[in-house]
Amino acid sequence: MDASSRPAVVIDNGTGYTKMGFAGNVEPCFIIPTVVAVNESFSHQTKSTNKGNWLAQHTAGVMADLDYCIGEEALSRSRASTAYNLSYPIHHGQVENWDAMERFWQQCIFNYLRCDPEDHYFLLTESPLTAPENREYAGEIMFETFNIPGLYIAVQPVLALAAGYTTNKCEMTGVVVDVGDGATHVVPVADGYVIGNSIKSIPITGKDVTCFIQKLLKERGEFIPPEDSFEVVRKIKETNCYTCSDIVKSSPIDTRRALYKSQPIEVNVANHPIQRYAVWFGGSVLASTAEFYGACHTKAEYEEYGASICRTNPVFKGMY
Amino acid sequence: MILLQSPSRFLLQILNDRLLSQDKGVDIDCQTVEFDDVRYHIQVSMRNPKVLVLSVALPLPPQEAVSFDGLPFGAIEAIKAAYGPVVQILDPPKDGFDLTLKINLAKLPSEEEQKNAILVHIASIREVVLGAPLKVFLKNLSMKIVGPEAGQPVALVHRPNESFFVIPQADRVIVIYPMRFQDSIDIVLATSFLQEFVEARRTAALNNAPTCMWSQSPPPELKGAPGSALSANAGFVTFVVNPRHVEGKKLDRTVWNLLTFHAYVSYHVKCSEGFMHTRMRRRVDTLIQALDRAKSDAEKLQKLVTGPSFKKMSMKDERERR
Amino acid sequence: MANSLRLYLTCIRNTLEAAMCLQNFPCQEVERHNKPEVELKTSPELLLNPVLICRNEAEKCLIETSINSIRISMKVKQSDELENILAKKFLRFLSMRAEAFQVLRRKPVQGYDISFLITNYHCEEMHKHKLIDFIVQFMEDIDKEISELKLSVNTRGRLVATEFLKQFI
Repeated sequence: MDASSRPAVVIDNGTGYTKMGFAGNVEPCFIIPTVVAVNESFSHQTKSTNKGNWLAQHTAGVMADLDYCIGEEALSRSRASTAYNLSYPIHHGQVENWDAMERFWQQCIFNYLRCDPEDHYFLLTESPLTAPENREYAGEIMFETFNIPGLYIAVQPVLALAAGYTTNKCEMTGVVVDVGDGATHVVPVADGYVIGNSIKSIPITGKDVTCFIQKLLKERGEFIPPEDSFEVVRKIKETNCYTCSDIVKSSPIDTRRALYKSQPIEVNVANHPIQRYAVWFGGSVLASTAEFYGACHTKAEYEEYGASICRTNPVFKGMY
Repeated sequence: MILLQSPSRFLLQILNDRLLSQDKGVDIDCQTVEFDDVRYHIQVSMRNPKVLVLSVALPLPPQEAVSFDGLPFGAIEAIKAAYGPVVQILDPPKDGFDLTLKINLAKLPSEEEQKNAILVHIASIREVVLGAPLKVFLKNLSMKIVGPEAGQPVALVHRPNESFFVIPQADRVIVIYPMRFQDSIDIVLATSFLQEFVEARRTAALNNAPTCMWSQSPPPELKGAPGSALSANAGFVTFVVNPRHVEGKKLDRTVWNLLTFHAYVSYHVKCSEGFMHTRMRRRVDTLIQALDRAKSDAEKLQKLVTGPSFKKMSMKDERERR
Repeated sequence: MANSLRLYLTCIRNTLEAAMCLQNFPCQEVERHNKPEVELKTSPELLLNPVLICRNEAEKCLIETSINSIRISMKVKQSDELENILAKKFLRFLSMRAEAFQVLRRKPVQGYDISFLITNYHCEEMHKHKLIDFIVQFMEDIDKEISELKLSVNTRGRLVATEFLKQFI
C-alpha cells in the first residue's frame, strides 16, 4: 500500500493548543496544550552525588530524555511533582525550542495518533511570519527523524480561509484575522498567496484576554482554587466572549478588487463550534484532495536538494 | 512513555465523550489509521444515539499467514469472550473493513469501575483481534496443553504483508521476528538495538525474562518457511517464552508486547534519531561560539552598532549611568 | 584523549599556521572580481603544494593552499557501520548549517567527509590563530561527538531493551 493512498496526518501547532488528526475528518482527533514536561531530576541527581562518574551521568541524561510527556498529561504531571519542568516550544506563533518541539511531535505521532510516520504524508502549519530557516528545520526533523514520505507546510490564515469555504465553490482570496493564543495577525490572501508586506501584527492575543479576565475575577474577589484558575478563565473566555473587528488593507493594487469584493461588510465572529480548529479543518480539507500529494515535497526531493526545498510550498487549487 | 500502550487513546476518548454527552445530537463519522495499517472507522447516528458502530481493517496478511475469512484464527471467539453482550459482530463487515462491531452503550455495566474497564478493553480491540492466535498458543502453554501443531512454525500476521513465526512446544513457545526496516539508517540503528536486547537479557536482573537471540540469517527453526518470509535486513530476533511469562494476569501483557515488538523497536529508533538531533544542535551551538571567539573585536563592535538590537538610551538610563 | 590524536592535531595546527598566509588577490580573468584560487585553480603559479596529514588510513586531512584561499578537507574515523552512519548524519547536520559557520564548505571535496574554505577576507575579519583554534576544536569535537553518539545509541538501546524485557517478569 502506497503512502498516498492513506490519509495524510494534519498537525496544526498553535502557541496554546495543538490540533492533530487525519485528513478527511471533520474534527481533529486530539486538541492538546502545546507543552512538554521533561524530567530534570535525573541529571541533577547525578551531578550532586558522583561528579566524576561520567558514564552514570550520561546514562542519566539518556534516561531523562526518555521520561517526558506532553499536553494535559504534562500539566498534571508537573502539578504533581516538582521533578518535571514545563517547556512551551512555541512562543508568539514561532517555534523557539526545537528540542522540545521535536519531542512534542514524537509523542503526537507515536502516542496520540499512534501512526507510523513512514506511512503518511504530513501537513504542518506555520504562522505567516515564520522565517524560511524555521521551515527548513521543521523539514529536517520531519524527514530525518521521522522519515516521512512527503511534507507540506501551509500558512495558517490560508487554511482558515479554506475552512470557510466548505461549499463546492472556493475562492482563496480574502482577509483573515487570526487571533491565536500567542499571536494576532491580519493577513490578506490573494489566490492562496499571502501578501507578505501587508501583514499587520497586533501584540494583543488570546492570552491577554485570558489574563484580563483573570485579573477581573481577582479584583472581584471570586474564590477559585489557583490551580484551576487558568482553566476556569479559559472556559469563561470561550463561552462568553465575543468579537467585532474592522479591517485595514494595504495590498498591491491588482489584488484589491478581489479583496474588496470578498470582504464582508459585517464581520460575524460567532461562537461557531469549528472556530477552535478552523485552521486544522482547512488543512484536513486541503490534504484530502488528490492535488495535495502532488504539491508535497517528497523524501526523494529532500535527499536530492536538501532542506531548502521546504522554503517554498506551492499553492494548489484543490478546491476550485 | 517508553512502552506502547494497548488501548487506542483515540477510541477511548471517543467512547468516553459519547457517554458524557449521550443526549447531545451530533453524528459522528471519523476514520483513523494506526501503525501497521490498522484502520478504524467510527460511526454514531442520531437515529440511534446509544449505538456506536466500529469497523476495523487489519494489515494485509501475507500468503503464509493463517487466517479465516480475513480474520486471524480465534478472533471471533476472543471478541465474544472479551466483551459479552455489549458488542455484537455484524456480518458482513462494512465495505473495505475486516470487522464491524456494534457497540451498545446502553448495555454497559452501571458500576463505574467495571464500565471503565470494558471501555478500555474496547479501545484495545487491536490486541484482542490481532493477538487472538498468539493468545491461544500462550494460553495452551500456561495450561500445559500440547496442540496438534506442536513443533511446527506457524506464521501470524504482524505488519502489512509481513508475518512473524510462533513455534509452540510442550514447555515453551518460541517466537521469531524477521526484522525489516525501510531506511538505511534505521536498519543500522535497529540492528544495534536488537543486539542490546540480547545483552540486556544476560544481566542478572533480567535472568527471568524470556531468552533472547539475534542472528543475521534465519534461525534453523524456520527451515521450510517460504523464502519471501525469510528476508530481513535487520536480522532475526528470537524470544523463548516459558510458562512463567504467561501466568495469570501476565498473559495479556505478554500478548501485547510480543504483538507490537516491531512497532516498539521502530518507535525507539525514531526517538533516538530525535535525541541525536538534540545533541547535535547543542554541539553546533558550541562550535559557533568558538568561531565567534575568532572574530576580531573591530568586527564585533561594528555588528553592535549596526545590529538590530541597538537601543536608544533613555534619560533614565543616562541618569543611572552617572 | 588518545596520544596519537593529540599528535595528529598538533601536526595539523602547525601546518595551518604555516600555510595560512593569505593576501588579497584580484581575479586575473574577470575584472573587479575576487575568487578563491584554490577552488578555481586557474593558474599553477598561484597554488602551493597540497599537504596530506594522515593519522591512519581512515583518518586524514588534506590542506590545499593558494595565494588568497586555503581549503582544508577531512576524513573522519568510521570504524564500523554505526560510526559510519553517525558521522554521515552529524556532518550532514553541520553542512545544513554551513551559513552559520561561514568558513564551512557546503559540499566536501570528493573523497572527504567535510571541507572548510578560508579566504583572505575571513582572515581579515578574524584572528588567524583563533581561526586555527576553531578548526582544531572542530576536529576534536567531531571525534568526541561521534564516540558519544555511539555510546548514547548503545545506552538507549540497553534501556529500551531492559524496559521491554522487564514486562515479562
